[in-house]
Amino acid sequence: MNQADVSKLMSQLRIAVRSNKRNLKNPDGPEGRLLKLRKTVTALVKHERIELFYNRADEARGYAELLISNAIRHGDRHKATMELADYWLLEKQLVHKLFKVLVPRYENYNVSYTRMFKAPRDYPGIYYRKSVLELRGNPYPVLTQDNSQNRNLLHNVLLDEARKEFRREKLASLANKLAAETEETPKPTVEKATEV
Amino acid sequence: MAQILLRNITRASNSTLLTTSRIGPSPLTIPAVAAANSLSQQLHTTSPCCEIRKLARLRVVDNSDLGKRAMAEGRPPRCIHVYNKRGVGLIGDKVLVAIKGQMKKGILVGLKQKQRLKQPQFDSNNLVLIDDNGSPLGTRIHVPIPTVLRTILKEKTLSKGADYTKVLAIASRYV
Amino acid sequence: MNVNARFLTNRIAQQCAYKRIVTFSTKPTEQSAAAAVPQQQQQQQHDAVAPPVRKPIVPAHYRFVYPEFLPDPKVEWRNSIREKLERLDMLNRRRQIELPEFYVGSILAVTSSDPHAAGKTSRFVGICIHRERCGLRARFILRNVIDHQGIEIVYELYDPTIQKVEVLRLEKRLDDSLFYLRDALPEFSTFDEHMEAETLEEGTPVPINELKVVLRPRPWLERWERQNLRGVANIDQYLKDKHRKSSEKVQKPWEKYDLMKQYRATIPEEEQKEIFAEVHTELHTLELQRKRNKRKRTFVKPKHLA
Repeated sequence: MNQADVSKLMSQLRIAVRSNKRNLKNPDGPEGRLLKLRKTVTALVKHERIELFYNRADEARGYAELLISNAIRHGDRHKATMELADYWLLEKQLVHKLFKVLVPRYENYNVSYTRMFKAPRDYPGIYYRKSVLELRGNPYPVLTQDNSQNRNLLHNVLLDEARKEFRREKLASLANKLAAETEETPKPTVEKATEV
Repeated sequence: MAQILLRNITRASNSTLLTTSRIGPSPLTIPAVAAANSLSQQLHTTSPCCEIRKLARLRVVDNSDLGKRAMAEGRPPRCIHVYNKRGVGLIGDKVLVAIKGQMKKGILVGLKQKQRLKQPQFDSNNLVLIDDNGSPLGTRIHVPIPTVLRTILKEKTLSKGADYTKVLAIASRYV
Repeated sequence: MNVNARFLTNRIAQQCAYKRIVTFSTKPTEQSAAAAVPQQQQQQQHDAVAPPVRKPIVPAHYRFVYPEFLPDPKVEWRNSIREKLERLDMLNRRRQIELPEFYVGSILAVTSSDPHAAGKTSRFVGICIHRERCGLRARFILRNVIDHQGIEIVYELYDPTIQKVEVLRLEKRLDDSLFYLRDALPEFSTFDEHMEAETLEEGTPVPINELKVVLRPRPWLERWERQNLRGVANIDQYLKDKHRKSSEKVQKPWEKYDLMKQYRATIPEEEQKEIFAEVHTELHTLELQRKRNKRKRTFVKPKHLA
């Protein structure tokens, strides 16, 4: 039952957060771990979509999210945020990208800024799970299947039925109209026979 | 007066800590300690949990002649037995101490160890010397003692037969 | 259609008092990503049409004044129902007794009922050297030197046997906990038992006492040189090269960049807002009431004398 740290204020992440960190084995200890994650975060901001091992992606995701949310929260005039960006982005031109491209892009989002997918691992190959980590709103083609055209989707089934019903009704009304017209003016049967 | 005592304690513990850190627990160093006789007397064996066990050094806080002289010399008494079944002295427990070559009994009136809620925790392990009947050797205790001692010592008086409440009578202040 | 359904759930969630149990937000659905921007526009329109739900505005300093209302950030120990019940109990206790704002470094006087004491109450004056734990278990440690004897007492803030908590001097110190006072010269933790309460003018920020304490020589209870203390004046004079080297070795300068570590140690802002919105009105009325009573008391006093 420890007291929460009140000296810092952070906005809530929109992703599921593990209760404890992964150590991401490396000989340099916690500092080395952060260096690893810095490389990943830099690559993510640079390429917007990267493929890597699941554990490292999941760890880096939280840092990337917090970096962006801090940048949105404080802007580029805030010294501490600038220091953070300087630490986390190893290539310095990406600091500009963070504040000039990503912040305007994500300002009005109410979902997470990153997405993560499980990727297939090659067989036989290294055992670790793989994943794809990407920033939302990236220019690449989407990775997920577009199921909106699937015939069996409930919406599509209902729409189909509605369409069918609409057509049936229209046909019925047409037939009724035709029947009424034929009653009023019976068609000459001779003409039709010649046409056929 | 009390400040002198305090300084003595700090000096004593200073040197003992140095020796313990230098010596360590290895058996090879024991003859060396025995050779340095003055050092061996100040060897600190209490672990940092500040428990009162055998050989823990205590601070006499009454104005008995014996206690005053022992503290002034920088040779504080050591616990050589704790009269309870735990072997670890709690507040109000009776202990047997070795002081200036004599064996005396005493009552613990303040502990360094973590205490319960609302009960004071002291910066030193305080002791009041008593004789076999439970009456104190001194006539005054010059530091505050915890109020919970009132209840504890009364209970002990009833169960053990000796009258420990005389210790309460010479207390100058409760906390 | 999908969007409509989400509106409904949003409305229900807003009305529901137990809004969320988990500390982290749930994973957003995949469709919501695509619909994010248009949905927001719609939501704005919706808000413009619907009567705005008025929520009390919680002052930003509440998290410093009432840190114990924030739960432990450790996810395994979270339980929203227990936290809520504890908050209710804390409010109930605060209705009975004034628990003033204080910080580590403030000087307090605590009067508690004590079955062992002569008058069945005991009063202890001391400097608060540490605050810890949260909820009903919130506690603090007071330290004082009485008759050249250092004494520390641990009190629980919501202990029902506590009769009165007075703040004699409201101030902060340079460090978050003052355990080094145990190894400092005794005059730095000596406070008069009959000290008069010093009043601060309303609206002034809590002053920070920049006093630097003087440590006595080794041995110390802890390795203070490793803790980057700001409130210690003379630590350098007791350090040898080996101490400096070892303390350099244990420094963790990267921790200030470890965002997730900080995130896991704090309660996120949105959640804090929720928690304080729940207790804010009650706390505020209590504060106002106390203020009024205080003014009344100060007004009555001269009358009584005359």
